[in-house]
Amino acid sequence: MTLVARDVSVAYGARVALKPTSVELARGELVALVGPNGAGKTSLLKALAGLLPHSGTVAWSGDALDSLAPRVRARAIAYLPQTPALHWPLLARELVALGRLPHRAYGAAPGDADRAATSWALEQTETAGLAERSVDRLSTGERARVLLARALAVRAPVLLVDEPIAMLDPYHQLQVMAMLRAYASAPQATDDADASAAPDARGALVVAVLHDLSLAARFCTRVLLLDEGVVVDDDRPERVLNARALERHYRVEPIVMTHEGEPLILPWRRLER
Amino acid sequence: MTELARVATPASREPRGAWHLSGALAVLALAAAATSLVIGRSSSGPTFGFGGPEIASIVLTEIRLPRTLLALLVGGTLGLCGAALQGLLRNPLAEPGLLGASSGAAFGAVLVFYFGLAGADSLALPAGAVVGSLAALAALYALAGKRGDFLTIVLAGIAINAFAAALTSLALNFAPSPYAALEILFWMLGSLADRSLVHVALALPLMLPGWLLVISAARGLDALTLGEETAASLGFDARRTQWLVIGGTALAVGGAVAVTGVVGFVGLVVPHLLRGRVGHHPSRLLVPSFFGGAALTAVADIAIRLMPPGPELKLGVVTALLGAPFFLNLIVRARPASAA
Repeated sequence: MTLVARDVSVAYGARVALKPTSVELARGELVALVGPNGAGKTSLLKALAGLLPHSGTVAWSGDALDSLAPRVRARAIAYLPQTPALHWPLLARELVALGRLPHRAYGAAPGDADRAATSWALEQTETAGLAERSVDRLSTGERARVLLARALAVRAPVLLVDEPIAMLDPYHQLQVMAMLRAYASAPQATDDADASAAPDARGALVVAVLHDLSLAARFCTRVLLLDEGVVVDDDRPERVLNARALERHYRVEPIVMTHEGEPLILPWRRLER
Repeated sequence: MTELARVATPASREPRGAWHLSGALAVLALAAAATSLVIGRSSSGPTFGFGGPEIASIVLTEIRLPRTLLALLVGGTLGLCGAALQGLLRNPLAEPGLLGASSGAAFGAVLVFYFGLAGADSLALPAGAVVGSLAALAALYALAGKRGDFLTIVLAGIAINAFAAALTSLALNFAPSPYAALEILFWMLGSLADRSLVHVALALPLMLPGWLLVISAARGLDALTLGEETAASLGFDARRTQWLVIGGTALAVGGAVAVTGVVGFVGLVVPHLLRGRVGHHPSRLLVPSFFGGAALTAVADIAIRLMPPGPELKLGVVTALLGAPFFLNLIVRARPASAA
């Protein structure tokens, strides 16, 4: 099962944020979208979520997203925006439970599966201890983890997250990246009905916009490097995130090394244009 | 830790708590209604009982019952629609009057007065109000329907309110007689006195579909807690939620204003008082706000009849007198509801 974008482009008025892009993403992959500010990462992510007017088509396992009923699409694709709105001070657990809305019929109380998914999502983000606290009494980082848990609670086969670790402390950056990797590769993590039936329905497709290149290189299975609305590279992390590419597209001279067999990428010096 | 947290969590945070709260408020509303049936008012102050066995049934069905039913229906409508609008606009200061439906209805009714039709046919007045309310909704849709974002809707509502108020003033200015002007003014103050079951029959067909439209948006209101974009990712179109709530409110509040005039602040105060009791959950606030609004309005209408002898206070005057300071207090204490 794949999420396929064909000639997807996004324009805000006259400004083209994403030039025609075609990409095929499969379950089991943890894909990093990297690139400088304004490269089109968020536009691509929103287009993949079916939340942004765009030309071209996006299809999930063969069905164009426009043709899917909103609830069916919502069960298949979970999305976490970069700066999620939070308008009422709900308890953290109830906020996370909103991720179950696409699974519940009108007027139906949350069932056992919903409660289990909510608790599971809280555990995955290590926020179970915050569950009974009001979200307006949490720190920014704690709130970011609760909001990530909300997206996880959908237990969708596709999880699209925009800068999920930007607000987190180093411990939780590592924890969330490891968790996303586990979610992508776990055989039965998602809630879609045919997960047990389809042989290719293994794990989830996770796409994350990231700025931490070391973590992208260490945890992701694939990296899409964007610059000026174009996917300039799409490959395994160690092939994409090399010094030359970073100098060219990020305008920084990086330190690229290996520590305990894992990649370590440190932006070191700005380059003049 | 978890055990402790569970104990510390009030029961009303649970979904069941919202139903308990609804039940308690419904009982309160019914108790107020029962009390309302036995209290009347004459020029010499409050009266109790039914004034003798021979007129009891007439007093009950022609005077007390319509008044009591309308208090429940109008109060419930205002509470429900206020809660839904606050959820939709994600702002605790939102109110049914905001959309222009009330002022449109008031102007429609004033026109009926102005042309002197109100005396001839008691149904002309509510009919005019309904037309005014629907016209205000049509204007709102024409002004904001294309873009349809919340700010445009609120601004369009303010414009419609201002325009309807100006036209109402114009009608007062050119009122055919001082008596007509006084009649208009008194009607606009909002009252439940001297209504009949015909008024109930007129308002209910508008209120019922209005309530259903608003209630059907409940899950969309929950999803909007996370903003329009996340709501869309959860399968809820913000535009659809919005027109369900706005259309339902215009119908139900239009029906209410048509038979009682403008009763303000119930839709603001009731959801605000109950919000914390349901853990700030927009959908769980709807039904308790309905019963809370019904109870509050019925109690206020009883209080009016218990006042010392003199001219009867208008319900709209009482709710405004109590509601306006409450509103001010809200603004003073207002801090952004968004946690960001």
